[in-house]
Amino acid sequence: MSPIVGSPVARIDGRAKVTGAATYTADTQVSGALYGYLVLSTIANGRITGITTQDAERSPGVVGIFTHQNMPRLAVPTSQLAAYWKRVIPLQNADIHHSGQPVAYVVAQTLEQAQHAASLVNVTYDARTPQTSLSGAMDEAYVPDPGLEGPNEVTRGDTEAGLAQADVRIDVSYTTPMHHHNALEPSATTAVWDGDRLTVHETAQGINATRLSLSEALDVPLANIRVLSPFLGGGFGAKGPVWPHTMFTAALARHLRHPVKLVLSRAQAYTSNGHRPEAHQRFRLGAKRDGTLTAIDHITTSQVSRTEDLLFNTSEPTRMLYACPNVHVAQRAVKLHLPAPSNMRSPEVVAAHGLETALDELSYELDMDPIKLRLRNYTSVNPDNGAAFGSKHLQECYRRGADAFGWSKRDPRPRSMRDGDTLIGLGMASAAHTAGGRPGAGARVVISANGKAVVQVATHDIGTGTYTVMSQVAADSLGLDLDDVDFELGDTDYPFAFVSAASATAPGVSAAVNRACTTARRSVIDIAVADPRSPLHGIPADQITVEAGILYDTDRPKLRDTIRAVVTRHGEPVEATTNPVPIPPGYTTGAVFAEVRVDPRLGQVRVTRMHGIFDAGRVLNRRTLRSQAIGGAVWAVGFTLSEHTMVDHHLGRIVNPNLSGYLVPVNADIPEIHIGFVDKPDPANREAFGARGFGETPMTGMTAAIGNAVYHATGRRIRDLPITLDKIIGDGEAG
Amino acid sequence: MADSDALSTGERSRRNVLKAGAAVAVSGGVAPLALAHPAVAAESALPPPASTAEVTLRVNGVRRNVTVESRVTLLDALRERLGVTGPKKGCDRGECGACTVLVEGQRVKSCMTLAVMEDNRDITTVEGLARGDELHPVQAAFIQRDAFQCGFCTSGQIMSAVACIKEGHTGSHAEIRDWMSGNLCRCGCYPNIVEAVRDAAKGGKL
Repeated sequence: MSPIVGSPVARIDGRAKVTGAATYTADTQVSGALYGYLVLSTIANGRITGITTQDAERSPGVVGIFTHQNMPRLAVPTSQLAAYWKRVIPLQNADIHHSGQPVAYVVAQTLEQAQHAASLVNVTYDARTPQTSLSGAMDEAYVPDPGLEGPNEVTRGDTEAGLAQADVRIDVSYTTPMHHHNALEPSATTAVWDGDRLTVHETAQGINATRLSLSEALDVPLANIRVLSPFLGGGFGAKGPVWPHTMFTAALARHLRHPVKLVLSRAQAYTSNGHRPEAHQRFRLGAKRDGTLTAIDHITTSQVSRTEDLLFNTSEPTRMLYACPNVHVAQRAVKLHLPAPSNMRSPEVVAAHGLETALDELSYELDMDPIKLRLRNYTSVNPDNGAAFGSKHLQECYRRGADAFGWSKRDPRPRSMRDGDTLIGLGMASAAHTAGGRPGAGARVVISANGKAVVQVATHDIGTGTYTVMSQVAADSLGLDLDDVDFELGDTDYPFAFVSAASATAPGVSAAVNRACTTARRSVIDIAVADPRSPLHGIPADQITVEAGILYDTDRPKLRDTIRAVVTRHGEPVEATTNPVPIPPGYTTGAVFAEVRVDPRLGQVRVTRMHGIFDAGRVLNRRTLRSQAIGGAVWAVGFTLSEHTMVDHHLGRIVNPNLSGYLVPVNADIPEIHIGFVDKPDPANREAFGARGFGETPMTGMTAAIGNAVYHATGRRIRDLPITLDKIIGDGEAG
Repeated sequence: MADSDALSTGERSRRNVLKAGAAVAVSGGVAPLALAHPAVAAESALPPPASTAEVTLRVNGVRRNVTVESRVTLLDALRERLGVTGPKKGCDRGECGACTVLVEGQRVKSCMTLAVMEDNRDITTVEGLARGDELHPVQAAFIQRDAFQCGFCTSGQIMSAVACIKEGHTGSHAEIRDWMSGNLCRCGCYPNIVEAVRDAAKGGKL
C-alpha cells in the first residue's frame, strides 16, 4: 500500500554529492566577502590585561581586529529554542574561562591575510591556575538544577533495601574521556546584510535555533533573518546548539557593512562547539541468584564549564532499559576551566556503556549467559513511569542477533577462544536510546499544474537521508511518483522544524510531510469530484484512490483522471500547510554483538566482526538507515578503542586538537558490519508511517559489546576508556 | 598506506612543500598586494609585501590563470580563487583527505601543496570526473553502495578511489581498506566505501 516508503531508494542528493555540486556552507560564493579568523586564548583561567593589535592592523589586507574592547555588544540569547546553551558570550569582557576562548576576531581581504594577522595579535594575561582535572576535583561535584532533559537525580523504590536483598552485588566504576565530534566539515558562517535584512549561510543542525539566537543576540526582528543550510557536512551535535562565532560573524558583517565569512580551523573546533565531557560513573548492582535485578545505583560525575552547568550525558538506560524496582540515578557536575560540553552523538552512550559493561560483569559473577541475564530483566513497559512503549521488539533482536552472530558457539570462559596465538573475544550488549518527545515540524506542499509537487520544511539533511526519505513519504502521501516530488529543506523561510538531533528528524518531519501531503491529496480529490469536466465528477471522495499521479474510482479503476489535469483545470496550484506535529516519546532498542582479536604480545585490539539488530519501528529506507547503523558502530569503535581528547592540566589546554592526535577510526580499523532491522511499525508514530527515531541508538551498546569482547578475549576488564594497548598489556602480560 | 603515498608522490613531501614556499617568498620581484583598506594603506611603516605569482592551473582540462600569494595552498586557490569547491577543507594539514585531487593523475592532498608548485600541471577534481550526464564508474558505485552520508568527505574519497584503482590496490577488501585509509569518513561509511571501490574496480574500464 506504500510502495515507495520502505523502498531502499538511492539518495536523491547522491548525484550532487558525488559530482561536487552539493553546496556546503563554506562553498557558497558570496561576492566580495571578507574573511574572518579567530584568535583564541592561550590561558585557561584569568583575565586579559592587554592586547596589542598594531602589528596585526598594519598587516596587508587587514580590515579590522576586534577584541573585547571594540567588538559590537551582543545579548545572550535565552529562549530555549534558541539553543544557545552558554550563559556568556566571549569578546564582551576581559574574563577567560577556558583555554581556546576567542580573544580577537580578525577580518581581512583574504583568508591567508586574516590567518597571518591573527598570528600578530599579542595578548597579555593575568593568568591564574586552571583546574581541568575531573579526578582532581571529584570532591567538588554537585547535582545541578534540572536541565534540558529534566531532573538530574531520580529515585525509584529503595536502592539500599534492594542491595540488601541481593544475593550478588557488584560495585564498579568506569571512566570515559572527553570526546570531540570532529564532523569533517568545520563549523562555518557567512553573513550577508542587505539593509536591515540578514542572510546567514550556516553549518547548522538547527537553522531555526540559529535564526532565533541571532535575533536575540543582535536585536533584529526574526522576520528579517534568513538562515540557509542546504547541505551539512556532518554535525553529530556540534552544530545543534548555536555558538558565539556565528553571532560575531553576523555582528561584524553589520558593523563593517560587508559580507564576512568565517570557517573554524580544525584546532579551533576543539574549543568552539562543544564536546562530550569526561565522565566518571559508579554502578552498584544487586541481583538475585537467578539474575533478577534488585537494585541499581548509578552516579555519574561529568565535567561542566565554569560558566554553565547543563549536562548532556543522561542516565535513561539505567532508568528505562530493565525492569528493576529499586533505581537511583544522580548526574553530578564538576566545574572545570574547560569549554562547555554539549550534545554529542548518542548522549546516552556514556550511561549505556557503564550499564551494559556492569551487566556483563554481573553475568560473570552469576555464571549466567549475558543474553539470558538481560531477558530475565526484560520489560515491556517503561519502568520509569509505567507507560507502555509504542512498540518494543528487543527480544526478537536478541534472538536474531545471537543467531546471525553465532553466539551459541561462544565459550564464555575468558581467554578460552584462540586462533593460534591470537586471543578471540565475543561480546554483546543491548542498544537503547530515547527517541522522540520533541517539538517536531510543520510542512508545506504546493502541487502545480505540471502535476509536480514541491514540499518544504525548514529541516536539515545531516547525512541521515532527509532529502530522500521525505521525498518518499511525500510521494506516497500525495500519490505521486518519486520523480514528481521535490523536497526542499535548509531554509528558514520554510515551515518550522526542530533541530536535527536527538533522533527527531525522521519521525517528526515524516509526520508533518504526511499530514500536509495527505491534506493536499484530499484537496485534489475534492476538486476533481466537484468538477463537471472530470471523469470522476460526482463520485464520493472517499472512493477515490490516487497513485502515481492518477486518480481513479477504487471500484471502477477505468474511471480516472490525473493530478496534472485536475490542477490544470483548477487554474491555480493546490497547497497545504501544517503546523508543527509534536513527536511522541519513543525508545529505540537493539541487540549488538562484537568479535575482537587481540595480539597478546602487543595488546593490539582489532574488531573483526560487528552485528546489530535493531527495532527502529518501520524502516522508511533500508539503504540510508543501514548506513546510519553502520556509522553508529564505527563511532562505537572510536569511543571504545581510540578517541580521547587529552588535556595538559598544567596549562589547562587540549594537546591533541587535530586528526592525527585525536584518533577517529580509519577505513582499515573497520570490519564488515552486519545490520538487521525488525521493521515493524510503531503504532505511536502512525502518522510517521510507524517510523521511530533511530540515529542515536546504534552507537549505544556496541561500545560495551567491544569492551566485553576484550574481557572475554583477555580476561582483563578495562574500565577506563579508551582501551589502548598499554592498558591491555599493563601490569603484566595479556597472553 | 595511502596517506604517506599521496604525500610522498614525486617531490611533494611536506618538507618540500615548506621549502618551496620559503624559496618563493624570498625571491621578491613581484608586485605588492593591493591594499584596499584606506586605514591600512595610509600607514607608512608597512611590513615587506607578501610575494605573489601568476600561475596556470589546468583544472579539469581548462586552463585557469590565477594570481596568488606564494603561501596559498592549491586547495585554497581552487576553493577561494577559482570557485572549484568540490575539494573540501576538513583539517588543512593533510590528515583527513577531504581535499584530495589528482595532480598529473596521482592523488594529492591539495591542502599540503602550494598553488605555485603546481603551475602548468593537470589538476583533476571531483567536478572533472563525469562525462556530461554520465557519471564516472566510481561516482556511480558510491551512489549505488550508499558510500557516504553527509557527503563532505566524498569528493576526496572518490578521487582517492579513482587513484587507488589505477594504482592496482584493490586486490582484496583488506587491501582497499589500507589504501583508502588516508581519507577519513566521520559518518562511518567505510564498509560501503570498500564495496563501492571494489565494484568500480571490478567494472574494468575506468
